[in-house]
Formats: sequence, structure tokens, C-alpha cells
Amino acid sequence: MSDIFVLAEHRQDELREVTLEMLTMAGGLGSPVTAVLFGSGVNDFADKCASFADKVIYVDDPTYENFNSAAYQAALVELIKAEKPGLVLIGNTGQGADLAPSLAVELDLPYSSDIIAVTIENDKPVATRQYYGGKIDGRIEFKDADTYVLAIREAATPAGEGGKSGEIVKTDNPVTTEITVKRFLEYVEAAIGEVDITQSTALVAVGRGIREDKNMPIMEELAQAMGADLAASRAVVDAGWLPQDRQVGISGKTVKPKLYLAVGISGAFQHVTGIKGADLVVAINKDPDAPIFQYADYGIVDDLFKVVPALTDKLKGMKG
Amino acid sequence: MNVVVCVKQVPDTSDPDTEVHIDSSGRDVERSKFSFVINDADNYAVEEAILLKEKHGGEVTVVNIGPETANQVIRMALAKGGDKAIRLEDEKFEFSDAVCTARLLASAIKDIEYDIVMTGCIATDDGYTATGVALGQVLGLPHAAYVKSVEVVEEGKLKVGRELEGGIMEMLEIQTPCVLTIQTGINEPRYASFKGIRAASKKEIKLMDLAATGLSEDEAGEAGSKSVMVQYSVPEVGELAEMLEGDAAETSGKLAGILKEKGLV
Amino acid sequence: MSIEQGTFVQKYDLLGCIQCGRCTGGCPVTVRTELNVRKFVNDTIEDDRLEELSEKPEIWDCTTCNTCALRCPKGLDPFEVLLGLRSMRAEEGNIQPTARDALESMFNNGNPWGKPAARRVDWMEGIEGVEKVRILEPGEKADVLIHICCTAAYDPRIMPLAKNLVRVMEAAGVDYGFIGVEEKHCGSEARRLGEEGLFEYFDEENTELFGRFDVNRLVCLSPHCMNTFKNEYQNLNLPVMHYTELVAELIEDKKLELKNEIAAPVVFHDPCYLGKKNNIFDEPRYILSQMPGVEPLEFLRSRERSLCCEGGGGKMWVESESKEQRLAETRIMDAKDLGAKIVAVSCPFCLLTLEDALKVKGLEEEMRVADILELLGEAM
Ligand SMILES: Cc1cc2nc3c(=O)[nH]c(=O)nc-3n(C[C@H](O)[C@H](O)[C@H](O)COP(=O)(O)OP(=O)(O)OC[C@H]3O[C@@H](n4cnc5c(N)ncnc54)[C@H](O)[C@@H]3O)c2cc1C
Ligand code: SF4
Ligand code: SF4
Repeated sequence: MSDIFVLAEHRQDELREVTLEMLTMAGGLGSPVTAVLFGSGVNDFADKCASFADKVIYVDDPTYENFNSAAYQAALVELIKAEKPGLVLIGNTGQGADLAPSLAVELDLPYSSDIIAVTIENDKPVATRQYYGGKIDGRIEFKDADTYVLAIREAATPAGEGGKSGEIVKTDNPVTTEITVKRFLEYVEAAIGEVDITQSTALVAVGRGIREDKNMPIMEELAQAMGADLAASRAVVDAGWLPQDRQVGISGKTVKPKLYLAVGISGAFQHVTGIKGADLVVAINKDPDAPIFQYADYGIVDDLFKVVPALTDKLKGMKG
Repeated sequence: MNVVVCVKQVPDTSDPDTEVHIDSSGRDVERSKFSFVINDADNYAVEEAILLKEKHGGEVTVVNIGPETANQVIRMALAKGGDKAIRLEDEKFEFSDAVCTARLLASAIKDIEYDIVMTGCIATDDGYTATGVALGQVLGLPHAAYVKSVEVVEEGKLKVGRELEGGIMEMLEIQTPCVLTIQTGINEPRYASFKGIRAASKKEIKLMDLAATGLSEDEAGEAGSKSVMVQYSVPEVGELAEMLEGDAAETSGKLAGILKEKGLV
Repeated sequence: MSIEQGTFVQKYDLLGCIQCGRCTGGCPVTVRTELNVRKFVNDTIEDDRLEELSEKPEIWDCTTCNTCALRCPKGLDPFEVLLGLRSMRAEEGNIQPTARDALESMFNNGNPWGKPAARRVDWMEGIEGVEKVRILEPGEKADVLIHICCTAAYDPRIMPLAKNLVRVMEAAGVDYGFIGVEEKHCGSEARRLGEEGLFEYFDEENTELFGRFDVNRLVCLSPHCMNTFKNEYQNLNLPVMHYTELVAELIEDKKLELKNEIAAPVVFHDPCYLGKKNNIFDEPRYILSQMPGVEPLEFLRSRERSLCCEGGGGKMWVESESKEQRLAETRIMDAKDLGAKIVAVSCPFCLLTLEDALKVKGLEEEMRVADILELLGEAM
């Protein structure tokens, strides 16, 4: 198969990890890998991509300072037509999902999204993706084409070590007309203090096992080390240790984080009803028979006052 | 402000007790034990469409591809304030991929007068996160995905916020007509009362089959799709929680490792 | 909703009210919320105020405990006015998300818990000493048709009640049967959340469903279901009973033998829908008195004066804003002061709320809350 294109993704002065994950994934498919980088003055990103790719096509132009799917699409159309890659990988992210489907439609190419694994069979990609919230896997095959477009799930494969030294080819912006249908304005960060736990990607939920208000700081530290928001069972909200808007359950919020860590929560039906949308549930409870373990993917049967500080340390250690 | 909103009926598999089993064909799941509901994100799209109508006037048209049972989902949207409805149904639509689905939707939408087309940003069954954005391209319109706020700036122009990873909102200006894929949490969907649903069942739901779409047989269903789901399989996951053994130092280390490996920290 | 002239006045006989205030005087939730039911009875006379009144949050604080109705010298049902206001909200679709989800689930799944209808009979698995629970075929004959409350069918904490009920039926040789997966929500909580239309739907559906079987009586696990079937269904021509009535009968007829000791001081908490609403006070007490070793105690506020646990009236899905002590906690403290070791109930909602309160008070080691069905399971 001809070259694999990987679209580099960056935002607010950071190259997003999904880029390296996709470059690593592409590297295992047996074809030369080209990172495609649109940006403005992001030489360091080009260097980083080069250490994971055989080639970097770097379009350095103020148009691409911030993401605009219409601008990206116009440029990618030109590049794909010119270079004819065999496969194009784009992150199935906030940016990529705003771009990949329409790109594939415009070029009339086979497309599939939120892919967790790719192999090459008979010179064609075969992809795996999940259905029904991860309860079922599906094998995706494609009809013959010169180029296939796949949107890859974040964290589907870990990023490797890199170690390549691909050539960086600075390329002129292939698009000369101005994009007017869509205009980037700004990034807005969520205001601190008004966390909406229904939107959190990671939650540390505190239950009555915490015993007293004065023990809350260990949970706050854990949440911080995990990059998670704090949630609670009604017991904790009732006690006034966290505000009502943090309550998970039938009379609280229904949440759908990627990670739900339940600490000192028994797992009453009224509580777990609210976490049915969570991807991964982990429970720490000293009672081995606590029902929460029936809903959890991983469990630790132990005293939370031992496990929580230890976990916080481990997580801090990994970062630092 | 005329809005078209696309809704899908999906099995309600959110409950942990709901088991999903692959059927004998290997390409579908056993459906007899499911209850069916509106796709979560589509529910927010319906609400957003109706909020826009309430604020700026106009009409809301509900579009669905699905079997007759999907009328329930359509009627709920009509009960909440939708005005018209179209349902597309044909055996030949089976196994349409996201791009092909977009083409079918476009065939029904193209003759409607609208300023905005809304879809949910993801479906809970197939999880494509692709149909709405593909639809924009098929209709030749600009689009925005994962929309968490919509504001009419002036005639022909919207300011929308797109939700990105880490709770960051990307604010942008977009010209109408356009397609927006709506993210959950943008609003609080209202309740469709039983009486409202009963009353809505008097409204006409226009039916379209393949012939009515004007598409040919090789533009619909599996024939019209360049990607094909050929085989379902059961992913390997344990039933009960996997217990991490050892003292606090060991268990916390194991857990930290798992979270790291899964990219959750 | 379009409000016609005099809707509330006629529907709730508002002009009969003499504004004596006995309703509010007895209302248990006044200690922790703003609710003043007398004022609502007064103010809803004015049609043009209905919209505004329906937006007051305290209309959702009523637990429908029926105390106000019992106390009203004019025979009114004051709290029904609050349900009328709730129904205006429900019809506009403007209700709390938790209530919305419960109602949508009732419509889609036939239960308020967001659980698939197909799993309604999962609880029937693994009942001690019972090979197979009997599910009736249409047209089949049986003495007793049992309706299991949605909460007992799906909440693992309440399932043992249903299982024990089966054990009791088997032990006493009752000719009983269940409906199976087609069994549905009774509509009681739909109505109390203001969804009149949905309630009427359940009325029609269930009446038709029950009519398929050739049975003599319908026995309910929950007083809430029982009350609705018995007092609110339009055309159900089937005697309806609570399980405590049937069990009392079985013990009296010596069909059920209770031999194991429950040696403990036990206080019975009257569920509002059993006692205040349906005058069933003696049967549960009689059953308890027949359990070996039970030392019966009485709350100061018992029978008609019993304190509501706040589990009914749709309150499972609508949290009060109040930070004051829950009534269930008050109840548990009263039980503790009495020296009770077991607080006995005969209602799934009471069990949930009181047990939760027991934990809030940190009294798990000292006392427990148990449904009479659980105690029967132990005593049998
Ligand atoms: C009408 C109604 C509505 C309700 N709505 C909700 C709702 O929306 N949300 C909600 O959460 N609840 C709700 N509840 C309450 C629910 O039934 C439970 O009572 C509640 O969830 C219990 O909270 P918990 O798990 O924190 O406390 P508990 O059930 O008391 O559990 C505490 C847990 O902590 C563990 N533990 C104690 N010490 C330690 C330690 N040192 N280390 C590790 N583990 C420890 C214990 O083993 C236990 O499992 C509702 C109840 C009712 C009746
Ligand atoms: S039913 Fe009970 S809670 Fe409701 S108003 Fe009457 S006394 Fe108060
Ligand atoms: S008790 Fe009856 S008569 Fe007295 S104020 Fe209340 S509703 Fe009116």
C-alpha cells in the first residue's frame, strides 16, 4: 500500500498525544508514514512528528494557527489529490470528528470512524470499532479505493518511543482562497467552581466511607492528581460535604465519564443508576460484598484511608 | 428560523443489566429484549431545535430513518413542539454506513426550506460521530460538530461553541444554512407528556422509500456504502470487578498502572 | 394546559373549604419545607393564578401521605390540589429531569427505574426451596394473582421481599400465579408526578392485562400499587388486597407456621398508603405478634397519626431542597428512643427511606429496618 498520512493535531500550543498514537499505529502497518502538519510557527511539533514518521509535510501558514475544519479540509483535499496516500488517519477527536467525515465525502473515499485497531489485509485496511457502548466489537471492511480515510479513537494504542528522523518538507499552503463559511473566534475554558459533573470525563466519587468533612482533602488531592472532578453519593451531599450539584444517582445527576472511581460508596441501586453511562468503573471499598463491585470493572477491597493517599502518590509520581 | 432535526431510534442499552447479544447472522444483535428510545444526543438536538423555534419563530421538521416503531420517537419530538415529520423506510437501506445514511437523509432534507439542520453528535448504538458532518458535505453546507451552544448573531450567521477534550469550548462563527451536530448537555430536554404524544399521533408522518428518495439501488444500504461492518464479535471483558490484590502500596500501584495504560490519567 | 373557568374549584370542591387550617396543621413536611397546603386550597380558587402557583417548588414537597385528607373536617383531599398543579407542569413538559426520566421509563419500559421490561422477572431466579415460580397463561385459573411492585422487581435491595412472598405462598399452599414479563407499573407514581394521561394509560392497560386471567383476587406487594388498583382504577372488577391481609388470613387459618425466634423489640411503622389511606392497621401488627419472640412496641405517632417517611408521592424522583432533618431520620430516632431493635415496615419505599436514615444516623450496628416479608422469611 502507498504512504500512510497521519494528520497532526494540536491545540493551544500543544501537540496532542493522539498524533503520536496514530503515528505509532501507522508505523506498524508496513508502509511509509507521513505526518501532515498544518500550523503557524510550530517547528517543534514538526520535529516531534519527524521522530515518529518517515516524512513530515509541514504547511506553515497563519491560516492554521487555530483549527478550522473548512480550512483543513480544503488543504487536505489538495494534498491527498496530489500525493495519493493509501490511507489517511485522523483523530476521532473534537477536531478530527469535525473534519474527517466531510473530507471523505468530498473526495468520495471509504470512511469509518472511532476505530480502535487497524490491520492491512490484501493491501487494504481492515478496522475494528466498537458498538453498543463497547459491548460489541465490529469488523469493518472497505470497498476498493486508492485511498481510505479512518478516524482513530484517542488512546486506542499507546504512543511508542519514536526514534525515527523523518524528513521535514515545508510545503506552501495549497489553498489560496479565503475560507469564509466558518471562522474561529476563541477558546473558552470552563469557569472554575462550576463543574458540571454530567460532562466530566473523569470522576472521583466520594461516599459515606469518608466519614467526616475533615477527611475530604485526601479526596480532593486524589481528584487533582487524576485530573478528575469530585462527585458524591447522596450521603455525602446530605452531610453538606459537597454541594447538591455533585450528587450522582436517581435524585442527582446521571453521569457518563470515561472513568468513575467510587470511593467508600456501597453501590446502592439509587446511586449506581446514575453511573450506567460510565465507561470504566473502579471501586475502593473495605467491604468485599459491597454491591458496587458488581458494577465495577476493577475493585480494591481495603481501607480507603490507606489506598487513597498511596494512589495519589503513585499518580503524582507518574506525572512528575 | 426553520430547523430540520434528524432523530434515530436506538435500543436502550445504557442500563448495566441490559445484555447485548449477537444474533445468528453475526451482523446484528438480538433485539427482542430491548426497549427502544430516542438516541440521547438527538434528544438534545430536538430540544435545541424547539428552543430556537420558540425564540425566533419558524418550523421544526423531524426526519428519521427507521421502521414503523420509530414513529414513537418521532411523535415524542412532535409532542414537544415539532411541526412536520418525515420517515424513511426501505429494506434496501439496511447496512448503510454513516456516509450513506447522510446521503439518504439529504435526499429527504433537500426539498425542505431550512436554516439549520441538527443531528445528535453521536448515536449510542453505532457510535459513529460522523453522520451529521457527512450530511453537511452531502448538502454542500458548512457544519460544526459537538455543538454545546448556539446563538443567532445576525441573519445568516450563528455563533456556536464546540466542546473539545478537557471541557474547552471552541467558539466559532458559521454561516447558515449549516449543519450542527449537537452534544448532550447543551440544554435540558423537556418531557413529552402522554397526552401530548397522543395528540401528536394525529399529525402526518410523511413516508419515503428508496424510490421517493430519487437515489438508485447502488446508492443505498450496503451497496451504497464504501465501508461495511461484516462481523460482530464479543470483546473480552470480565463480569464482576477484577479485584486487585495486595496491600495498599501494591493495589494502588496496580490501579495507577491500569489507569495510565488506558490513557485515563 | 388550557385552564377552563373553575377547573380546580369544581374538580377539588374548593368552595367546600372553610380555611380551618387543620390540613396544614397536620402536614408532616411543614417542619422542613415551605409547603402550606391550606393556602394552595385557598389560592387555586383563582384560575388566573394557577400558572404561577404551579411554578412554586414546594408543590413537589408533598408526599401524598393523606394526613391532610384525614384531618379535613369537610372531607376534602387537599393534597390533590397539589397534584393538579403538578399535572400542569407535566403537561408542559417542564418537570425535574429526575422525574422526567422516571416518567419516560414508565412509558418506554413499564417501570420507573430505567430497566428493560424484558428483565422484569429476573428476580424469580434462585428462590430458596422453589423450583419454578408459577407464571399464569392467559385464561388460566388461580385463586391469587400477585402483582410485584417495579421496585421489588428491579432493586436488588427489595427483591428479597418478592422472593419471600413466593416462599410464603408455597409454604401455605396458596393457589397463586404471576403475570410475568408483561407485568407493568401500576401508574401510582405516574399520577403523583402529575402525569394523569400516563396514569390513565396504565389503568386501561393493566385492567385489560388482569382481565386475561381467571383469578379471584389481586394481591400486591406494595401498598402504593394496591391503593391505585383498588381506589383509582376506573373499571377493575377484581378484589385487591395487600400481602399483609393475605398473610394474616393464612396465619389465622393455620396454613402458615412461624416457628423461628425473632427475639427482639420490634416497632411497626405504618406505611401511609396502607394505613392512613386504606385503613389497614391491624393485619401487619397481627402478623408480627405471631412471630415467636417478637416484643411489640408502638410509636407515639402510630396508626392514623403515623409519621410519613417521605418515600411516596413521587418523592423517589424529586429531592427536596430542604436541608432540615428528613422525616425518616426523625422516625429512626423515635424508634431508637423506644428501644426498638427492628423497625418493621410493609412497603418497599418505607424500607428504602428508613434504612437510608438508619445509616445516616450511624445506627446500623444497633438496629435494623426490615420488611415484614423479610421477617416472615426468617420466622418460617
Ligand atoms: C428516595 C431515595 C433517593 C435516593 N437517591 C439517591 C441518589 O440520587 N444518589 C445516591 O447516591 N443515593 C441516593 N439514595 C440513597 C441510597 O439509597 C444510599 O443510601 C446512598 O447512596 C448511600 O451512600 P453511600 O454509598 O455513600 O453510603 P453507604 O451505603 O453507607 O456506604 C458507605 C460505604 O463505605 C464503605 N466504607 C466505610 N468505611 C470505609 C473505609 N474506611 N474504607 C473503604 N470503604 C469504607 C462501606 O463498606 C460502605 O460500603 C436515595 C435513597 C432514597 C430512599
Ligand atoms: S398529603 Fe401529607 S405531605 Fe401532602 S399536603 Fe397532605 S399532609 Fe402534607
Ligand atoms: S382541613 Fe379541609 S377545610 Fe380545613 S383548610 Fe384544609 S382543606 Fe380547608
